Amino acid sequence: MDWLSLDPVVRTRLSSAIFMPSAERVKCVRLLEYQGKELFKKYGIPVPNSQVVTDPAGIAAALKVVGLPAVIKAQVLAGGRGKAGGIAVVKSEQEAVRESMRIMGLRISGEKPNALLVEQASTHSGEMYLSITLDRSRRSFVLLATKAGGIEVESATGQTVEPIPITGLTRAAAESVASRLDLSGGSRDDFVKIAMDLERLLREEECELAEINPLAILSDGSLLALDSKVILDDNALFRHPEFSQLMPEDPLEGDAAKEGFAFVRLDGNIAVVGNGAGLVLSTLDLVADAGGKPACFLDLGGGSQQSRVEAALRLVKKLPNAQRILVNIFGGITRTTDVAAGLRNVVNEGPMQPVYARISGAEEEEAKKLLEGTSVKLYHTAPEAVTAVVNTG
Amino acid sequence: MLQYGTNVAAGVTPGKMGEKVEGVPVFDKVSQAVEKTGARSSIIFVPAAYFYSAVEEAVLAGVKLVVAITEHVPIRDELKMIDLAGKHGVTVVGPNTPGLIIPARKVKMGIMPAPSFRPGKIALFSRSGTLMYEIANQLSTNGFGQAVALGIGGDPINGTTMVEYFDWIRTRDDVDAVVAVGEIGGDSEERLAHYISDTKFSKPVFAYIAGRAAPKEKRMGHAGAIIYGNFGTAESKISAYRSAGVQVAMTPMEIPALVRKTLG
Repeated sequence: MDWLSLDPVVRTRLSSAIFMPSAERVKCVRLLEYQGKELFKKYGIPVPNSQVVTDPAGIAAALKVVGLPAVIKAQVLAGGRGKAGGIAVVKSEQEAVRESMRIMGLRISGEKPNALLVEQASTHSGEMYLSITLDRSRRSFVLLATKAGGIEVESATGQTVEPIPITGLTRAAAESVASRLDLSGGSRDDFVKIAMDLERLLREEECELAEINPLAILSDGSLLALDSKVILDDNALFRHPEFSQLMPEDPLEGDAAKEGFAFVRLDGNIAVVGNGAGLVLSTLDLVADAGGKPACFLDLGGGSQQSRVEAALRLVKKLPNAQRILVNIFGGITRTTDVAAGLRNVVNEGPMQPVYARISGAEEEEAKKLLEGTSVKLYHTAPEAVTAVVNTG
Repeated sequence: MLQYGTNVAAGVTPGKMGEKVEGVPVFDKVSQAVEKTGARSSIIFVPAAYFYSAVEEAVLAGVKLVVAITEHVPIRDELKMIDLAGKHGVTVVGPNTPGLIIPARKVKMGIMPAPSFRPGKIALFSRSGTLMYEIANQLSTNGFGQAVALGIGGDPINGTTMVEYFDWIRTRDDVDAVVAVGEIGGDSEERLAHYISDTKFSKPVFAYIAGRAAPKEKRMGHAGAIIYGNFGTAESKISAYRSAGVQVAMTPMEIPALVRKTLG
């Protein structure tokens, strides 16, 4: 996503739609480029001829299919892949082998490439940007397109935004966008078809975002999707079991996802656990204000039974950078006695980081009794617990 | 809800028609319940997979207010819900909300801990459930009860927006002030700030935003984990609020003191 190429209005829409951390959606399923392109192919969106390899030894076979020159691209979720050296254009098999070994050895924003995409190199005369994403303010999906995409960030002109009704993008609307982008001839026909196919993909596969950047204009005027970015709606995955293998690879995040926790690793030393995304976020703020550094964000969710509390505690117990654990619970649908019983069971299992807890809400007196005689340090208010956890050790 | 004194007219669970739970009759369909009891509001607890059809059933049965507790509803189902509710003039609170409570009228359509809420003249609207309990508790123990408290819902899109709730109470005599509890992400606070300035909203507004310490340039699972520029961050929301004359608390605990300074 070439952020600066978009005008402030579009940027505002985009950021409200997708770029902001949202406490309510801390897990997401984002596809790698090649996975996105497989979906593109399924929906008839033209992509370059390509092969996926997981081992540089497979390069020669891939080149037989793709031909030379070829582009070798690291398959990572992190942005800034090109700048980090994760993309190479190669003209010979020898060069391809050397570059693929180099790229497989990279760490791009800490991420090791999962695979390489070996793609036929294309010569093109122009690049566009096309995406469909959720606009939170409008409460609808919107199509965003600009005449300049790819790397031509400075010369962007002709951005256009088209809200999409619940029934889907109409041909007339797609044609209107094409007109606003001054497309004609084959480019126009291709654009209308690709926009409609992309919208159908987003609707049927239930994505939060489907983006083509760049959408290349070839010398004959036809269009080709050179990159893909697809983010699935994780709440809709139950209707799309084929995506179930795409869960996070970090073992702790995988465990958290299985339990249905919202979990984010942070780089401090105080693990923050609570019920409700807002309460946990607010607790992070309190910890930071007091001069502490959170080691993670873990939201148990509503209605947590004892077993979930235990699972959460066992998970943060394994977090290597967590030296202390802060638990902040305000009981509503979550029973404070369940939380207390879960806490008690886990701290009694054996040595672990010290636990500082604030438990408030219905039945809090009974909850406190359950924790008497354990190593859990209990506090009456959140600020008291935060002060204690930050100023110890 | 019954314990609190709410008039729960009926329950609906397919296949349980004719049973009674705590004296409340159970029906197979919402339409039967509405016909027999005259109920005008519905609260939905069904799992996400059945959520849209439950909303559709309630709307088509003629219910005018739907409180949607269900969490993890797919975006597409939320968009369909907004479309359908709009066409039928139905107000949807949520989804992914603890519901709403009107303490003076003993109306509790939700799962919030009732003792935290007291009758009074503050309207409390929150994007977060547990923070709403926390702040209601702070307000109540400091003598500021609530005319109404509700969770607008924790999802990126909501059946009813913060601005719409403000519009609803703007001329109500039983509301003296509003407390808005927000968090990072999206731009509902910025929009609310514009609304307050543009429409010269006359009641005092107090706000709290969770997530000042949420890391920038860090992926919080969501693609949106990267904060670009100054948009959607806590700072952006706080400065938008301040320029609209909203008093912003830095912690939930500060809210009662701010309210007291203004209302006395």
